[in-house]
Amino acid sequence: MTTATAADPTVIDPADIDPAVLRDDLDAYARALRAWLASEPVLDQWRGRHYPNTEERIADHGRFMGVLFRAGWNRYGWPESAGGLGGDERHRAIFYDALSAAGLPIPAPHLMLETLGPPVVHFAPELATAYLPAYLRGDEWWGQGFSEPEAGSDLASLRCRARREGDTYVLSGSKLWTSHGATSSRLVCLVRTGTPESRHRGLSMIMLDADTPGVTIRPIALASGENELAEVFFDDAVVPATNLVGDEGKGWAVAMYLLQWERAMYAWICAADALRRLRDLRGQVATRLAAGARLPDGSAARLGAVYEQIIALRSRSAATVRRLAAGDTVGPEASVDKVLLATVEISLFDLARDLLGAEFVLGATDEVAAWRNEWWFSRSATILGGSAEVQRTIIADHVLGLPKEAK
Amino acid sequence: MTSPATITAAPTAGASPAPAGLDDATAELLAGSLREVLAEGGDLTAALAELGWADVLADDPARATTLLFTEHGRALAHSRVLDDVLLAELAPALPAATAARALLYPLHSDHPADPRGPLTGLLLGPLDGITEVVVPTVLDTGATADEPDATGLAGLAGGVTLRILPAELVAAAAQPVRGFDTAAGWLTVSAAPVGPAGPATPAGDAWTRAVAAGRRALAAEITGGCEAALAIAVAHTSARVQYGRSIATFQAVRHRLAEAHVAVESLRSELTVAWGSAGHADGGAWAARLVKLRAGYAQAEVMRHAVQVCGAMGLSLESELHRFVARTAALDLLLGDHRALAEQLGTELLGGAELEPVVAI
Repeated sequence: MTTATAADPTVIDPADIDPAVLRDDLDAYARALRAWLASEPVLDQWRGRHYPNTEERIADHGRFMGVLFRAGWNRYGWPESAGGLGGDERHRAIFYDALSAAGLPIPAPHLMLETLGPPVVHFAPELATAYLPAYLRGDEWWGQGFSEPEAGSDLASLRCRARREGDTYVLSGSKLWTSHGATSSRLVCLVRTGTPESRHRGLSMIMLDADTPGVTIRPIALASGENELAEVFFDDAVVPATNLVGDEGKGWAVAMYLLQWERAMYAWICAADALRRLRDLRGQVATRLAAGARLPDGSAARLGAVYEQIIALRSRSAATVRRLAAGDTVGPEASVDKVLLATVEISLFDLARDLLGAEFVLGATDEVAAWRNEWWFSRSATILGGSAEVQRTIIADHVLGLPKEAK
Repeated sequence: MTSPATITAAPTAGASPAPAGLDDATAELLAGSLREVLAEGGDLTAALAELGWADVLADDPARATTLLFTEHGRALAHSRVLDDVLLAELAPALPAATAARALLYPLHSDHPADPRGPLTGLLLGPLDGITEVVVPTVLDTGATADEPDATGLAGLAGGVTLRILPAELVAAAAQPVRGFDTAAGWLTVSAAPVGPAGPATPAGDAWTRAVAAGRRALAAEITGGCEAALAIAVAHTSARVQYGRSIATFQAVRHRLAEAHVAVESLRSELTVAWGSAGHADGGAWAARLVKLRAGYAQAEVMRHAVQVCGAMGLSLESELHRFVARTAALDLLLGDHRALAEQLGTELLGGAELEPVVAI
């Protein structure tokens, strides 16, 4: 790792960089980024920082994105027409990995950006031109409205309606478990434009402003006390028809396209962050050991196993990210990445819980509170974005080709 | 399918030319030939020579090795090809070979036996046709140069030294393995006398590199065994009808098979990554240990699920499944089983070892 200082003349000032060079040379991008992350003093405020609630965390992470945007780093991997500097998924993957390696969090809005950005760029380039630059600057972020009270794992049964009226769609119904829903400026929703029986054939993807009249958003407090998710109600909310992402009736195809990033790039991001948190945990445990604490039996083996699981996840998701960058379609096999990422999340935070022991249950420090919050959130790894059961069924059906489950 | 460039070395940036190596079609052809050769069950070394394997290996060591050992595992073959992998890495530290050599593997992970005591270890097969046995040894921690030293190894404490023993000396102390996997043809060596002190040469990094290469090969062999066992389980559950439908339509069965698939795929990905650092001075030891750990974990996972979904058939001698259960367990043990490796790794991490990211984009 480069440990250059601000005074070091070898450190590249982002203002002096020709973006075309870093766009075309991944290694040069990685080197310049790491040097900057290691030397830029303003970044220290985001290292080891704790927040009283989700809203303050995401707002501060938005400010962090602003810093990264002004230096150009989070613009690589996105097209120039959408506020980016060109390049592909590999730039983004290097960016997330370099942040984690430098002890920095991956800004929370980037998670939804990785899910919603690619389909908007691909299916609605004019919406990407209009709104993505502000997203990259951290001035706004978007929520993903897929699940509904009666459509969770069975997404194709969703009922939130979009009725065509002239140049608009009129939305009625509701969405549930919308990530970052309570603080988002815009929502990207999967809605029904066909008949109620049309299943996945009658769906459309649409983007709307969160402050559209007729839209009500209520945060949902998770067991941790954090408002990570929200429910959204639509009471005849009017949305311009030009806000469709993809054609009417093609929402399922857009959703399937989106899942490639939601499963694969998200897996890479989780692996990068998991390695940072394992490093944190190791440091905290070492401090406790030095103070005479004793670890539970089997701790070393579990630590070794979790570290190896993270490397396995990195191995798999790096290959998938490279396939995405090459323009390959990543199909049902992306469920393998998702299963591995959920395994890492669950085992890492269970390990943290067990190694911290009584302190996990009783401790009041910010540090321990963060582990508790993340432990709760890690439980969602086997639920959101397609539950553990859905992923295994996809693999059984479409990868192993087993006879279909009885209905 | 991506280009074979993904198999070799580090990921390439931009449009650099693909390194020379096996393309998919050639690899498929070679896999077919290997399957035929392995099914015949004759002298594998001779058959490989006839195939021109040395050239294939030189052209694309990663893909060739993975191909050979995956098929070896799938075919439940027993041979001494693993010896070739380790001996090739040890060669620079040894006097030039004048006769056929075999290797004595440590019983415990990658930690060779102490030369001051009677030697123990594992052989991959009988020593017919073998003249010399290469024996890695190490003075146990705590040994110092001040202690009485009958072996002429004073000053080498902690470092691995290689000794070459006459095959008949080792053979006299060797017994066929009568354990979990009797079909592997392995022998255990217990209490072989060190005998007339042959030359003991310091192994330097060669032992570390040999272990790393061996672990990558074993990971491929375990991959082949896991794939074969999963295929048996998929075929059995798809054909077996209960309650009027094939049991592979039951979610509990389907999900176990899906988990087995995830285990195999993660092993395959990590093996590709492990080859990326094979050219490093230490032979890519860190990543090789990780993939051996993954392979051991994968065989435990795959076999647990496969045995369950095959019902009583999975426990029978009639089904082939038990052979893969036993073989992959034996391969897990060789050069470090997954539990021991996880413990060793975790202990090092607790001791302050760097949490290497291993994988780069």
